[in-house]
Amino acid sequence: MSLRVGVSVSMIAIAVLCCAMIGLAADPPIPIGVSVAQTGPVALAGQEQVLGAQIAEDYFNKHGGVNGRPIKLIFQDGGSDEPTAINAFQNLINVAKVVGIMGPSLSQQAFAADPFAVRAKVPVIGPSNTAKGIAQIGEFVSRVSAPVAIVAPNAVKAAMEINRDLKKVAVLYAQNDAFNKSETETFQQAVKDLKLDLATVQTFQTTDTDFTAQITNVLNVKPDLVIISGLQVDGANLIKQLRDLGYKGLIVGGNGVNTAAIFPICKAKCDGILIAQAYSPAYKSKINDEFKSVYKDKQKKDPPQFSAQAFAGIQVFVEALRALDKKSPIAKMDLAALRVELNKQLISGTYDTPLGEISFTTGPGMGGEIVQKQSYVAQIKMDPDGTKGTFVFVK
Amino acid sequence: MASFLATYDFLLVSMVLAAVLALTLYLPLMAGQLSVASPGFYALGGYIAAIMSTRIFPPGPGLYPVSLVLLEMVVAAVLSGALGLAVGVPALRLRGIFLALATIAFVQILGVVALNLQITGGAIGIFGIPQPFANPIQYMWLAVPLLLVSMLFVARLERTRTGRALIALREDELAAAAMGVNPTYHKVLAFTTSAVLAGAVGAVSAHFINTWNSRQGTFDTSVNLMAFVLVGGSRTFVGPVVGGLVLTALPEALRGIAGVGLLPGWLAEFLRDGRLIIFGVLIAVGTVFFPHGLITPGLLRRLGRWRARAR
Amino acid sequence: MNRTFLLQQVLNGLAIGSVYAIFALGYTLIFSVLRIINFTHGAIFTIGAYATYALTGSQFGINGLLAGATLPFALPFVLALLGGSVVAAVSGVIVERLAFRPLRARGADPLLTLVSSLGVAVALVNITQYLFGAEPYSYPDPLQGLPTAMNFGTAAAPVLVRTVQVVIFGVSMVMLVLLTYLMNATRTGKALRAVAEDMTTSSLLGIDTDRLVLLTFVISGFLGGVTGTLIGLSVGVAGPYFGIAFGLKGLAVIVLGGLGDVPGAVVGGLVIGLAEAFVPAQYIAYREAVPFALLFVVLLVRPQGLLGRAQVQKV
Repeated sequence: MSLRVGVSVSMIAIAVLCCAMIGLAADPPIPIGVSVAQTGPVALAGQEQVLGAQIAEDYFNKHGGVNGRPIKLIFQDGGSDEPTAINAFQNLINVAKVVGIMGPSLSQQAFAADPFAVRAKVPVIGPSNTAKGIAQIGEFVSRVSAPVAIVAPNAVKAAMEINRDLKKVAVLYAQNDAFNKSETETFQQAVKDLKLDLATVQTFQTTDTDFTAQITNVLNVKPDLVIISGLQVDGANLIKQLRDLGYKGLIVGGNGVNTAAIFPICKAKCDGILIAQAYSPAYKSKINDEFKSVYKDKQKKDPPQFSAQAFAGIQVFVEALRALDKKSPIAKMDLAALRVELNKQLISGTYDTPLGEISFTTGPGMGGEIVQKQSYVAQIKMDPDGTKGTFVFVK
Repeated sequence: MASFLATYDFLLVSMVLAAVLALTLYLPLMAGQLSVASPGFYALGGYIAAIMSTRIFPPGPGLYPVSLVLLEMVVAAVLSGALGLAVGVPALRLRGIFLALATIAFVQILGVVALNLQITGGAIGIFGIPQPFANPIQYMWLAVPLLLVSMLFVARLERTRTGRALIALREDELAAAAMGVNPTYHKVLAFTTSAVLAGAVGAVSAHFINTWNSRQGTFDTSVNLMAFVLVGGSRTFVGPVVGGLVLTALPEALRGIAGVGLLPGWLAEFLRDGRLIIFGVLIAVGTVFFPHGLITPGLLRRLGRWRARAR
Repeated sequence: MNRTFLLQQVLNGLAIGSVYAIFALGYTLIFSVLRIINFTHGAIFTIGAYATYALTGSQFGINGLLAGATLPFALPFVLALLGGSVVAAVSGVIVERLAFRPLRARGADPLLTLVSSLGVAVALVNITQYLFGAEPYSYPDPLQGLPTAMNFGTAAAPVLVRTVQVVIFGVSMVMLVLLTYLMNATRTGKALRAVAEDMTTSSLLGIDTDRLVLLTFVISGFLGGVTGTLIGLSVGVAGPYFGIAFGLKGLAVIVLGGLGDVPGAVVGGLVIGLAEAFVPAQYIAYREAVPFALLFVVLLVRPQGLLGRAQVQKV
């Protein structure tokens, strides 16, 4: 009896060992780190980024990975605060030994965590960090999230074309969010440059749900245009309440409300809003169409900006890895060299992403600042019953 | 070992700094006062260091001199102490839950002010704070002495007349006052000392996390500090230190366990993403089963006896 | 400042104030009977809102463990509201049994209970996120036929208030009346007040304190659920954290009105709402500090709040 047991156990052990060795013999997938906000108040944006990244992983692995070798995304929650993001980065760099990191979700977290990646010489791509000074953190920090500098004036100009008598503008922004604080500075500058009258600037918090006080102040100056820099939930509520309380003029929304996630909140009242977009679902390109269709299968709505930017981030890593591998096989490089070479390669490339055609500019001491060829202004068109909507190109 | 340090250097220093912050909650608690104002002074200290190192002292090549960091800590400590005095004298006439609420209000107000001032950078905060050390683990040179000095201070305090006065106030304020202990003086003393310490920790932390903004030192920090003290031990200074060390490590330990790969998928994912759930449950359970925290004077005495017997 | 603008500010203040008031009612009720600050109220409020959402037969989004889940039936809004509030009440009771009762049995310091309630609130909110994801949800609108805002001014100088806010104001007044009646005119109310005065003596006098504490949590939880759903109706269910922001402001409200005082909660809420509404336009960035500045000042000057009785220190 015991002999039988002994033999069976040995045979199983040998079989397992063989399979393990076979597994080891093949090239392991290339690990790429993703550290976004999967928990905490920022998780709403983080969730969308996770989804965009996962779609990218599937997509690129289906299309041959990195010259035959698949990629594997390692997710470590960056949380909604700075220390968690730092710890996530440390884990990805030292434990998971990734070739590069996409993240974190917030600009403030980037200012905290990216320096650790710079010290460790690991490339970081920020999918949603739009504050000034991100790429200047260090040579290893790049971003695919365009600062709103280009798009903002276009959106205001589009509003001026719809209403030729546009004079007075009211600006509202979320003061506790770095994304929106940077964006509103650009919008306010654009308003001044276009010689319009900046009648009032009101602030709110991203956690606010009631905006009657700010709206009263805004309606009091009788503006022709209201510009909103907020995130999905607060932005959508602000729009809904503006319309509820009788504002009939034009509304321009910033990047933060560039998502179909606002439709369930403002419903039919979302109609007609002009959005300054860093990403448009309506942009016609092969990769955007494919990205959109995969996303729509899962979520039954158009992809939001955060997901598209996350997809683009992973795409940059994959295509840079491919290009690098062609130049000199990455399987032969040690990790430290691979990270450094990958960083150099990704900054020098051009990419046809769902965001449009992107490339990077750089300078001494900085990484890759995105140069995005396309910028979009869209107008939201809602169905009469308010349940479905689309973003329609304006320019 | 090198890899362990490389991964956990940030966490280890965070643990030590958290232990010091926990002591800032313990100090007023020695006098029976629950004050959650420390995060406010912590934020102030951080801003002072951030502003001084990015705007006042010109950036040079290489590392930022440690002597300047020490100077910032002193300035932060002094200014926090001054603010602590200004706020403490009126506020510490309150008792129990009223004081706790007043300190909550104080932290919220500071947060709104920090969001709105130009000099604090608003929502973006101050970034690119220069580093005095090439390697995060070297922050231990600042953090560990800070912890040791504070622990020594509190340990000695418990033995002096002032310390005994504080404990008397905790046990029965009315009786203590009747016996000639000046309640306001002692409470303000504890409060101000705690503010000084929190300011110093803030100054170090600003350099440590490279950036500082209004999201550092908020009500969430208060919740963490309360957990450190109440779960760690509220009757002896060892408690908050242990609480700070262990509870700061806990979420990252869970992340590490989740990553080991031996656990079933759903459990690993829960440990990773459910860290906050575990944290909350731990606080609730801790208050029920360990009302004076894990480390109590009784436990320490027993450990002392056990060690003595072992010799 | 012209009359229309003034009237608009006042109505805005009352509108937002009634939201705070209705939140504070449940909060202050627990304090009045048990002398504890129950931070889980914000989490219970959220649970109520989510439960109502489920009961309207709506579907949960794509993230979270229960992604895409939907109940096999759909109730009309008002029934779903009541059902959701019942779920909230039950949650409140579970929390009480598991977290607060052991502490009360030991005679623990109220500060310990405060901390415990914080831990429970953190756990509950994160469990909600774990189960349902972080997306915002909207209820199928029961007020669809009505105009979105009501005009309290004239056609030439309109003073508009959103209809849903008028509804919330109405509900908060009704709740206030019902609660005051309960506390002052019924036997149960008298028993509750006795328990609030002194729990030990009340139980010695034959009052079933345990059952009354349970009742307090049931009412408070129910109120929390109603509040969560109504606010969710007004601004959407903004994700699992949407109750937490109210938790801190709620403290300011109940202290201002008088800790434990039921009409005080409403007065406190309205006062803070009005204070926020009257912040001048150029200082709007500091609006968030207003409730807490008021809280601080009230604590220094008159800790018992506007309607509370001065606390006598018992020896």
